[in-house]
Amino acid sequence: MDPIREYVQSMTRRHFLSRSAMGLGSAALAGLLPPTGGAGEPAKRSGGLPGVPHFAPKAKRAIYLFMAGAPSQMDLFDYKPEMDKLFDKDLPESIRMGQRLTTMTSGQKRFPIAPSKFEFKQHGRSGAWVSELLPYTAKMVDDIAIVKTLNTEAINHDPAITYICTGHQLPGRASLGAWLSYGLGTLNENLPTFVVLTASWTGRKEAQALFNRLWGAGFLPSKYQGVSLRSKGDPVLFLANPKGVSPATRRRMLAALDRMNQDTLERYGDPEIQARIAQYEMAFRMQTSVPELTNIAGESKHVLDMYGPDVTKPGTFAASCLLARRMAERNVRFVQIFHRGWDQHGNIGGDLPNQCRDVDQPCHALIQDLKQRGLLDDTLVVWGGEFGRTVYCQGKLTRENYGRDHHPRCFTVWMAGGGIKPGVVYGQTDDFSYNIVDNPVHIHDMNATILHCLGIDHQRLSFKWQGLDVRLTGVEPHQPVKAILA
Amino acid sequence: MIRKVFICQVLLPAFRCRSHGISWGFAVVVSVLLGWSVQLCRAADQERVDFNQQIRPILSDKCFHCHGPNAEDREGGFRLDDKASALGEADSGAHPIVPSDPKSSEVYQRLITDDSDLHMPPVDSKKNVTKEEIATIRTWIEQGAPWEGHWAYSPPCLPSVPAVRQKAWPRNAIDHFVLARLEKLDIKPSPEAKKAALLRRVTFDLTGLPPTPDEVAAFLADDSPDAYENVVDRLLASDCYGEHMARFWLDAARYGDTHGLHLDNYREMWPYRDWVVRSFNGNKPFDQFTIEQLAGDLLPNPTDDQRIATGFLRCHVTTNEGGSIKEEVYVRNVVDRVVTIGTVFLGSTLECTRCHDHKYDPFTMKDFYSLFAYFNSMDGNEMDGNRKDPPPTLRILTAQQKQEIASLRGDVKNVKAELRKQLAAVEYHEPDDSKLGKVVEEVQRIWVDDEVPTGAKESEPWKWVTTPKPVLSGKRATTRTAMGRSQHFFEKAKEPLVVEKQQLLFAYVYLDPDNPPKEIMMQWNNGTWEHRAYWGANVIDWGKNGKASRRHKGDLPPAGEWVRLEVSVGDVGLKPGDKVHGWAFTQFDGTVYWDKIGVTTRRTVYSSLAGWAKDQRAAGANGLPKDIKSIVKLEMTKRTDAQKKQLLDYFLQHVYAPSRKTFDSLQARIQAAEQKIAAIEKAGPTTLVFREAKKQKPAWILERGEYDQHGLKVERATPAGLPPLPQGVDNDRLGLAKWLVTPNHPLVARVTVNRFWQHVFGVGLVKTAEDFGSQGEVPSHPDLLNWLAAQFVKDGWDVKRTVKRMVMSATYCQTSRAAPARYQRDPENRLLARGPRFRLDAEMLRDQALAISGLLVEKLGGPSVKPPQPDGLWFAVGYSGSDTVRFKPDTDPKKTHRRTLYTFIKRTAPPPELSTLDAPSREACTVRRERTNTPLQALLLMNDPQFVEAARALAAKVMSQAGPDARGRATRMFQLATCRLPDELELKQLLAAYRDHLVAFRKDAKAAEQLVQANRAKAELDPSELAAWTMVANLVLNLDEVVTKN
Repeated sequence: MDPIREYVQSMTRRHFLSRSAMGLGSAALAGLLPPTGGAGEPAKRSGGLPGVPHFAPKAKRAIYLFMAGAPSQMDLFDYKPEMDKLFDKDLPESIRMGQRLTTMTSGQKRFPIAPSKFEFKQHGRSGAWVSELLPYTAKMVDDIAIVKTLNTEAINHDPAITYICTGHQLPGRASLGAWLSYGLGTLNENLPTFVVLTASWTGRKEAQALFNRLWGAGFLPSKYQGVSLRSKGDPVLFLANPKGVSPATRRRMLAALDRMNQDTLERYGDPEIQARIAQYEMAFRMQTSVPELTNIAGESKHVLDMYGPDVTKPGTFAASCLLARRMAERNVRFVQIFHRGWDQHGNIGGDLPNQCRDVDQPCHALIQDLKQRGLLDDTLVVWGGEFGRTVYCQGKLTRENYGRDHHPRCFTVWMAGGGIKPGVVYGQTDDFSYNIVDNPVHIHDMNATILHCLGIDHQRLSFKWQGLDVRLTGVEPHQPVKAILA
Repeated sequence: MIRKVFICQVLLPAFRCRSHGISWGFAVVVSVLLGWSVQLCRAADQERVDFNQQIRPILSDKCFHCHGPNAEDREGGFRLDDKASALGEADSGAHPIVPSDPKSSEVYQRLITDDSDLHMPPVDSKKNVTKEEIATIRTWIEQGAPWEGHWAYSPPCLPSVPAVRQKAWPRNAIDHFVLARLEKLDIKPSPEAKKAALLRRVTFDLTGLPPTPDEVAAFLADDSPDAYENVVDRLLASDCYGEHMARFWLDAARYGDTHGLHLDNYREMWPYRDWVVRSFNGNKPFDQFTIEQLAGDLLPNPTDDQRIATGFLRCHVTTNEGGSIKEEVYVRNVVDRVVTIGTVFLGSTLECTRCHDHKYDPFTMKDFYSLFAYFNSMDGNEMDGNRKDPPPTLRILTAQQKQEIASLRGDVKNVKAELRKQLAAVEYHEPDDSKLGKVVEEVQRIWVDDEVPTGAKESEPWKWVTTPKPVLSGKRATTRTAMGRSQHFFEKAKEPLVVEKQQLLFAYVYLDPDNPPKEIMMQWNNGTWEHRAYWGANVIDWGKNGKASRRHKGDLPPAGEWVRLEVSVGDVGLKPGDKVHGWAFTQFDGTVYWDKIGVTTRRTVYSSLAGWAKDQRAAGANGLPKDIKSIVKLEMTKRTDAQKKQLLDYFLQHVYAPSRKTFDSLQARIQAAEQKIAAIEKAGPTTLVFREAKKQKPAWILERGEYDQHGLKVERATPAGLPPLPQGVDNDRLGLAKWLVTPNHPLVARVTVNRFWQHVFGVGLVKTAEDFGSQGEVPSHPDLLNWLAAQFVKDGWDVKRTVKRMVMSATYCQTSRAAPARYQRDPENRLLARGPRFRLDAEMLRDQALAISGLLVEKLGGPSVKPPQPDGLWFAVGYSGSDTVRFKPDTDPKKTHRRTLYTFIKRTAPPPELSTLDAPSREACTVRRERTNTPLQALLLMNDPQFVEAARALAAKVMSQAGPDARGRATRMFQLATCRLPDELELKQLLAAYRDHLVAFRKDAKAAEQLVQANRAKAELDPSELAAWTMVANLVLNLDEVVTKN
């Protein structure tokens, strides 16, 4: 007998036969996980690097609510009451200090101060100031840590969003989620490890672009790239069988494929074939697990109400948040929701309230929902954009309406859940929300914080690329923000 | 023993990547087996420690950071990348390395000390040298610390071909190097692959496509000794060869069809892609290939092709994001050029040196910015303007178009000669009384009829209709159908309308009676567009109603007939002398046709030159060509004879009533020919090229890589650590390109042959194809790499010859079937003891499905095409105002079934078939693809409508071609996909699958209809049978053997 055949058969025949007897379909279905009951349920990990996590993680998974376009920090969180008196006064040169501006406003003759038209109040035990645009977020200030002193170097959208999502301003690097998949592996083989949702929005219609690279694998193998969960068509690309092909037909085809590939394995002896067989089985399981994930028919009215009326409209931010919670339950490692339309160069009075309405209630609902299910303890939630906006006005300034240009020197994000100390307000900006006075947090520091919550020492998660041990957080020294860690 | 374990360490990263592709548990088993087995093999191989293979990697990874090329970070005053310094004296007075004396070698002592203050590497570096590595270093020092330069930086010399014991096995030099190593390790090479498998492998490797059944049959039938070589020659001569080779190069050149940043608009660049294909097909020597891409424009009298080639320097991503700082964008673009050249030609990671001297390799920041200085002087804006053709660009015309233009230019020349002749024939006598020669006349100038005016830019390509649609004049009329406000226009006409008093602007309009608009508007541009006239409802809110910026001219004209609309220039604020160079047609809803557009001028006609000239002078001579105007303005007595003649000629041609008509028709002929020329030129595609600015831009070292932090000024220079520019070349881009391909350049030939090796064998001899530096992997067969590189240069950089050498080798022809132990011992086949076996690349998988199902359209070159992809992929990420925010698939099979090379690549949202199967996004230079194995790939190959379509076509094909017998059909299908006959078991399984599917589809006829409905052409086939065969084809196209190069 052919020695290759002999060997492989001795290794796999028993396994092969037992599975064939069961039939692929039932084996696959048996492997399908029911929705888990919540935190604490042990989930089996596969993939990932040995030795990672580097230490016991507080969070097992993360949800990143990305506000693309850059929300205006001084209209939402960074309360600057002094500005009211300085309406239409020029931004003092002592504040601007000749820093570079985008060429959209660098040609402006004046830099008149535009005070926020929105009312602020203090909330919760932490006494955090929150604008009237975010009434739901205001209710949960004691659940979250607000960081007012994020900063970056990039001043335009494409480089800035690429920077915060991949650690580098130019294309080619791995995204945060790809790093997490690579380092931590998956806790649920029936769903993608890193899922991306691009939500609809109602603010400025002409929205900044996103790029597949923001959830790309960059130099890492492409299996680590984020998988888009789409609200129209197949939720995952090519998930659905062609018209006329029922699950039974697909199962029949896969059973034959399985048998014939086993035969090829015996013929060639290449272990890659065995891996391929496993991938087809996983694909088949995904055909059940993904529709089960996206079907919200079983959600109670109470839960749906919590997320607000948009929750039943596919593709909205509210619907995306609910899916994020369902994925957290199913141990999807990393979910990132991109909400666009935050680039208010003009018409803050008109567009910003709409943008806030899109996200405010769903964000609150997500945190409460996770909390009620005991998932918030080991799920990290992050909210924020790629940079901030200027205190001075771009375009026409009135008390009621104004625009703001890009501002990289300070902006606000909040974090909550696994690993984060709740009810904290961190960092101090000057009266103009222009410069940082105390406790700056570079975007690399924030990414280091996210990794830390997930049990990763950001200095030790690296990949050799172009001769270097490349890290998400770059080459300069950065560290997690200890003050907001639980 | 110590050495053995060390080798295991070195090879570990190699299997790690591979393990991403396979299941985790398995990877662990493989890693353990690999580590031990290879290590055992290598033990016999090495008697002495090899500096480049064993010592340099440790020093580089663990020590160079502080004791390497980077002066700024250097500690202790010594460096370990430099022999003199390493053997010399450090700041402390100690000697880092003392040959044969580990006890006096400070490096060794620091490695073994228990004193944590002295221990190296320092604890906070998080680097750790293993005991085994320390022992290797000790052995090396004991052996006299023999030092070698880094293997990649000495010129490749032709090493002697090693002797082997199995003299019958080798077919060429490659085999000697491979076998010599295998014999040392006591491993036998694998037997030759079966003929059919070999044919499939080599056809994929040389053309990216599977062989046809006829090709298989011919090869199997050919027992001659040259049979295989003849196949190789045939494949190398096929056009598909160039298409296949181009694909790898385009990954490296980062070619895409959009700009890649922010708006990510369309970029017209495909002529460069086609140039690459042509170059490989024409077997352009690689040195010439290099020179043309880096400096084709600087060659003497560059051809179009040589200029197209410089697109390599323009393929990088660009932006036009509002608010961008030009200087920053400029620096990024130039940096991308330098870094890409570093990766592609030098196999070096130059990006490091953008911010600091290299920590591992002999490159400094000064080197980086000196290279920068070669590529920073582009004659054009570094912002892309969101246009498809940001200059400098080249418009490309076919030979036929060029000929047509030449013939038209000939016509123009003839008419001009005729015109001169006529001019000479006119007898003109100045009337005695200049007042007599003056009458008022209405002249109509048609500006738009069938074409926009010469040189005008269209807002978008205008839509034209011919009869039976409404056309008033000429061959066609322009039209538009809109929901809401919508317009088309032209601007920047070469010859503007010069406004005169009492002029009437006119256009003929036809409103569709079935779909009339609410409002129509015309608009003129004399520098601004604030000149509008409208008819009908006031729903277009541009300008101010009642003013020249929005003038109401009446109700909508009656629909269903041509109506002339007239607007006097004064009504819309146009003043005499204004130059109108643009005209817009706006509508709200409805379908509108426009034709015969122009201006009516009431003007005085003269038969006296003196009278005309006098009137012109008095009126300021507006509207006359510049030179004529200046003559008119001169007093009569001050005009020279030449000027008088020029003025008279102008007068006779354009003004003088008795002769003007003759000249008008001649002028019209000239104008018509020129318009045609312009139209032909405009139809030709453009491509981005590099053109050197007249004035060289200065370059500085940019501190920390920041665009605005100028340090020391630098001049153009090649890196100091590499050989200098060759004699006799200029110190410019051309000189630099020639420097790269000088025969003694240590890197370019090695890096290039290594990539060819990687294409064919799946993994390069240097696995890190992008990094030949100290942090890259050392070559698995250093002498073979040297030999291939030196031979490549010796052969005149002959690419086909080099590739042929690889596929002709016995090494290549081995079977990839091997005992599992062999796979486990060497999963990536670095020892080359078996043939290559890898999953096909994304492009090959799709092309294969199209080819074996008979759908493939083989056509060389042309604009990129858009095969269908799921809805919304572009829209989900695209900038709202981008011209690629909405994906509109092509529907013509002539486009959708072309090779994947021609698929449109939007770089911020690449085609899912490509990105799912590991193809890069083309945003940055990629010289090595990862190979993964994921469930999403399985879903794609099973369910992507393109693959389902191929399955259906394959099913229909075997049903029509392979007779009625199921056995015959299954055999044929399997054979088409694998190039071999199925064995009994396989056939049984295919037939069982077919029968099961058939039973199911017979029960559910609707499902069968649904699955096959798209195949209308095959109406005569039984739907249930076709559906069942479609599922079998779907199965076959997903077989491991079919998705793999075996």
